Amino acid sequence: MAFLEITGLSKSFKQHEVIRDLSVAIEKGEFLVIFGPSGCGKTVLLRLIAGMMQPDAGDIVIDGRSVVDLNPENRDIGMAFQNYALYPHMTAYENIASPLRSRHVPEAEVGTRVHDTARMLRIDHVLDHLPKALSQGQKQRTALARSLVGRPSVVLLDDPLRNVDAKIRYEMRFELPRVLRRYEATVIYVTQDYKEAMALGDRVAVLVDGAFRQVAHPHEVYDAPGTTRIARLFGDPPINLVPVQPVTAAGGVEMNVAGGTVRLPADSAAVAGRDCTFGIRSEDIWVSLEPTEGLPVTLEAITPVNNRLVMLLRGDEGTELFASCPQGSALDHLRGRHKAWATMDLARAHFFDHGDGVRI
Amino acid sequence: MATLKLNNVSKVYDGAGERAVDAVTMHIDDGEIIALLGSSGCGKTTTLRMVAGLESVTDGEIRVGDRVVNNVTPSQRNIAMAFETYALYPPLRVRENIAFGLLRDRAPSAEIEKRVKSIAAMLEITDLLERFPPSISGGSQQRVSLARALIRNAAVYLLDEPMSQLEPQLRALLRARIKDYLIAHKMTTVVVTHDQTEAIALADRIAVMEKGVLQQFATPHDLQERPANLFVASFIGEPPMNLFPAVAKDGKIAVLNERQEVAFHVPLGSEAASRLGDGKRIMVGVRPHRIRLASGGEVTGATLVGEVSSNHWLGDHCQVGFQVRGCSVIAVAGRDLQARPGSQLPVVIPGEAVRIFDVDSGAAILQDAEPAVSLVV
Repeated sequence: MAFLEITGLSKSFKQHEVIRDLSVAIEKGEFLVIFGPSGCGKTVLLRLIAGMMQPDAGDIVIDGRSVVDLNPENRDIGMAFQNYALYPHMTAYENIASPLRSRHVPEAEVGTRVHDTARMLRIDHVLDHLPKALSQGQKQRTALARSLVGRPSVVLLDDPLRNVDAKIRYEMRFELPRVLRRYEATVIYVTQDYKEAMALGDRVAVLVDGAFRQVAHPHEVYDAPGTTRIARLFGDPPINLVPVQPVTAAGGVEMNVAGGTVRLPADSAAVAGRDCTFGIRSEDIWVSLEPTEGLPVTLEAITPVNNRLVMLLRGDEGTELFASCPQGSALDHLRGRHKAWATMDLARAHFFDHGDGVRI
Repeated sequence: MATLKLNNVSKVYDGAGERAVDAVTMHIDDGEIIALLGSSGCGKTTTLRMVAGLESVTDGEIRVGDRVVNNVTPSQRNIAMAFETYALYPPLRVRENIAFGLLRDRAPSAEIEKRVKSIAAMLEITDLLERFPPSISGGSQQRVSLARALIRNAAVYLLDEPMSQLEPQLRALLRARIKDYLIAHKMTTVVVTHDQTEAIALADRIAVMEKGVLQQFATPHDLQERPANLFVASFIGEPPMNLFPAVAKDGKIAVLNERQEVAFHVPLGSEAASRLGDGKRIMVGVRPHRIRLASGGEVTGATLVGEVSSNHWLGDHCQVGFQVRGCSVIAVAGRDLQARPGSQLPVVIPGEAVRIFDVDSGAAILQDAEPAVSLVV
């Protein structure tokens, strides 16, 4: 049995079912990221686990013990929120100490544990400050310290880096896994930023319409998305999705895409003769300004994202495709439309059923 | 289409001591796309509103083409604007809202219909043309507001946070289509945004503002590679620029770690060495994507050794955090990088990627020069 098991969890508000028969098993010490678009049920799920809401059905078992009938403070769970939720009239020290106080931990031990946790999160120099005197990053660290100080076996983090600036977000992205490993906590982390999900998660659970549609290692979610819907949630620019009908021809499989005909890799028999959605990520399309064997296209616009060039291509019959590459080539300083040739790395292509969007 | 020039433009609100906008000078070429970028309260929106004629100019002049427009009413400036708050006409259908500016210009109705259809297709709002604004979502209203501005024949186009309400997948597509449209029609455009991703994606040049002052007006490439000061260096770029305290000594820069010990050295060119006296405290900046990593590769004399703390695989690239003798560094690498936490990684920081800043003023030292002569050793 896994350390934390959720089985058949459901929750409705009036007629609207927000969480539907949801199950997942999480190992001890695992960092599970729950990722989904806004309104998918992430926050409700976290509240059900924390005990701030009661499920209509289902069970939550932590370390062999069902916790659904326990009060939040008896579940051995620490939690930090997006908006920090610090007590404004208490110093950072008292905020961090609050979970220990409610459990009547001896004063000497409170001091030791608050200082240890604060040092770990590098806020030991501001412990006597009130929240209003703390910077954005220090508030966030104080809220995290409060969730960890009681050494809970499960830590729930509700989009904790949403409201912090880029510098702090990156610092915390690199620091958080190390801190949490030290506490040997089992972590459930909610975010709507796919990069954060991939960066932090041992596994990513993709929550859409109240149910997990895929629970897998970040590599698998990105390289083998279960549906077109999941495929579109990861990657910037989004994955290219084009309807195609591959056919058997000349001992292999071919398809028409973006005004040209391409030959698929040898193991593509499963898609021949089917109505498919062809998916290819922008980084798997190479663009050349010199004629190649690839598809002739118009390079319509270059919109850099960070240090990558994102190119919008248009095939002869109108299909739009995104391609991307690192900066540092002849493409860097182009402006306006240009004739170009696009080559797709079809070994990295994805095929989905055109009807239900499920991966083939 | 026209040029747009701001010469020493300032704004002081009645009763306020501070300048909301302080002597901003910017010359925007005919057909150029620029972005006004900064966090809230930096003066970017006030600047835009002065250009539109919605705020008076306290000092300085604004020229559209050859004409000074300081005292010209908004409707006479020949400027099209998409508002952050959309400002659509609720009793008019989406189609009529979009066509409104063209009707005023007395365009023939067949041409109006053709252009409305084409711009609606570009912005993915064809299905909404017969609806009324209150019945469509905020993101859709935002696109209608954009369409109403972009369809006009104006000298200058002002777009205030034009894509803030769109879902990320649609935003990527519309950014590219709008950029193509602006360039194809040679439209002089000012985009106001707090989102550097949007600014970098769309603009030929970006004006970074902070506290009413124009910090730097340059291409996205130059903002990355030659930031004018520490503010721009740390504001622009994702992940942010690595910044380390350092001391100049014996023709080299000694980079310090958190315990103020020397972590590694950067050799200085002779010009840089003469500019930086011995013992001068400085800040050293290196962009994450300029650091070269070799997984499992050879460690030579010209390499530092980093101990990997995390390796974040993001599909099309990796972001790696590592320690070099007590200095925390973030680097960007290709998607195939193999680097497990705790492992050792050969690291090369090319000298030409190192930027130097004055500790007190924050200004870049030798902004246009290559401060270092060779690889970091």
